[in-house]
Amino acid sequence: MIEASPSGDAANFTFAPLSPEFARDPHPTYRALREKEGLHYFADFDIWLASRFEDVSAIVMDKRMVRSLEDIATVEELAKLQRDANWHDMPHHERFVQFSLLDSDGAVHDRLRKQVFKLFTPAMIAKLRDQIQAYVDRLIDSLADRGEIDFVDDLAAHVPGHIIGRLLGVPDEDCPQLRIWSENIVQFFDVDRSDARKEIAERNTTEFYEYLTALKAERERAPKDDLISVLIEAELSGAMNFDEFISTCMLILMAGHGSTIDVLGSGMHALLRFPEQMARLRNEPGLIQTGVQEMFRYESPLPFFHRHCVEDVEICGRRFERGTKFGLLYGAANRDPKQFDNADTFDIGRTPNRHLAFGGGVHFCLGNHLARLDMDIIFSTLLRRFPTIELVDREPEYKRGLSVRGPKKLKIALRHA
Amino acid sequence: MPKIVFIDADGTTREVQAEIGQSLMSAAVQNGIDAIAAECGGSCACGTCHCYIDGEWVERLPSPEFQEQDMIECVVNPNERSRLSCQITVSAELDGLVVHLPAGQY
Repeated sequence: MIEASPSGDAANFTFAPLSPEFARDPHPTYRALREKEGLHYFADFDIWLASRFEDVSAIVMDKRMVRSLEDIATVEELAKLQRDANWHDMPHHERFVQFSLLDSDGAVHDRLRKQVFKLFTPAMIAKLRDQIQAYVDRLIDSLADRGEIDFVDDLAAHVPGHIIGRLLGVPDEDCPQLRIWSENIVQFFDVDRSDARKEIAERNTTEFYEYLTALKAERERAPKDDLISVLIEAELSGAMNFDEFISTCMLILMAGHGSTIDVLGSGMHALLRFPEQMARLRNEPGLIQTGVQEMFRYESPLPFFHRHCVEDVEICGRRFERGTKFGLLYGAANRDPKQFDNADTFDIGRTPNRHLAFGGGVHFCLGNHLARLDMDIIFSTLLRRFPTIELVDREPEYKRGLSVRGPKKLKIALRHA
Repeated sequence: MPKIVFIDADGTTREVQAEIGQSLMSAAVQNGIDAIAAECGGSCACGTCHCYIDGEWVERLPSPEFQEQDMIECVVNPNERSRLSCQITVSAELDGLVVHLPAGQY
């Protein structure tokens, strides 16, 4: 089935990524951007946006494109950028959130990524299958007779944080608090940079830091088979310092929450919007892996990332100065008809499906296999247990912003017959 | 153009023409070898372009560097013939290279 969206007007359109219209459906805008020549300059963010698959993948693979401005801008320029973003005067946020594995490059990035990579490989993640299944079974048992649920709040929101918490070594009962801290810190990245949100982000970063410091001390006394204990070893061996330890734990917990919840929500919404695809998945449960891949392509949960060039570069026939900021619109690239046949069609059997939802290059999403396994288990279990799943609210509201994509709530009915 | 032979886990054999200077991974992806997922695009960051090098070709290829060795430990079913295809550059000397593909990358 092809989604009925109006064709974008390439010459004349408004790019308003914080608008309710964009939240409702960003794809007409993405289409219009793809049809424009070259990159699109978005003055509000002082950024050049790439939307075609070819351009986005070229930038993401380009070794001259980095995340951090550290080696490009002067100390004064960095301080000004930080003030402009309202990211100044927040000491713990600056220490543990503004610096991270995600926002480092080169040797520092390689060293930090190496400390955690092995725990996120397919073989390691596959070992979690039974405990994720057991957790999901219990959660669904508790919801099974309610008839109607909010798929986002009642189900999706509980799973990724719980599992990433266990992997890291956080006690189960603390996971809900960690989710609140994570969401409050992540929200300050995008939509609302007000002083009120800033105060919450800094306070929650401080609480998060104090919590992790205490947990670290506990594991130092009695190590366990968890990621915190692995990172303690890394610190002892000199492979990371204390701030990097805290920052890496926070990043893993934050990255392990929101985006998987969002793509669970949009993936379920897609299955309900295109019931023939849900029926196909019921009849052929073996399609779950390609189905999950397609959910990531169809509504990429983190549709926007940035890079800076460390030297002058030429893209689409235009020269850009060292330090220029580029926006990578993964959500647009993943619907590019030059890369994907029937790009607006949700096809759970699509193969190959070389999408960019996990990014690319050295910053390729570390937790991708875990996210996919969470989704595999949740969707497979729901389809197995409920012969009928229906959308209750026909027009669920999606989150606002350029950096996120997912429904705020998704009211669904689960029926035993 | 050097010829590369890819053999699927089920035994299906396909020959492709590769360009000198491109990676073995790119040659596979461009020629529709779907068993090479290569999700990170060739940065030795995902371990999904894993393949097994046939017979005596193992010794004829330059040895894997440290980062590739590290990553090979993390792929599904590694053995002494395992390589990451994104780290192998096609050259005239590789004409006739035979590459076995794994049953899956996850």
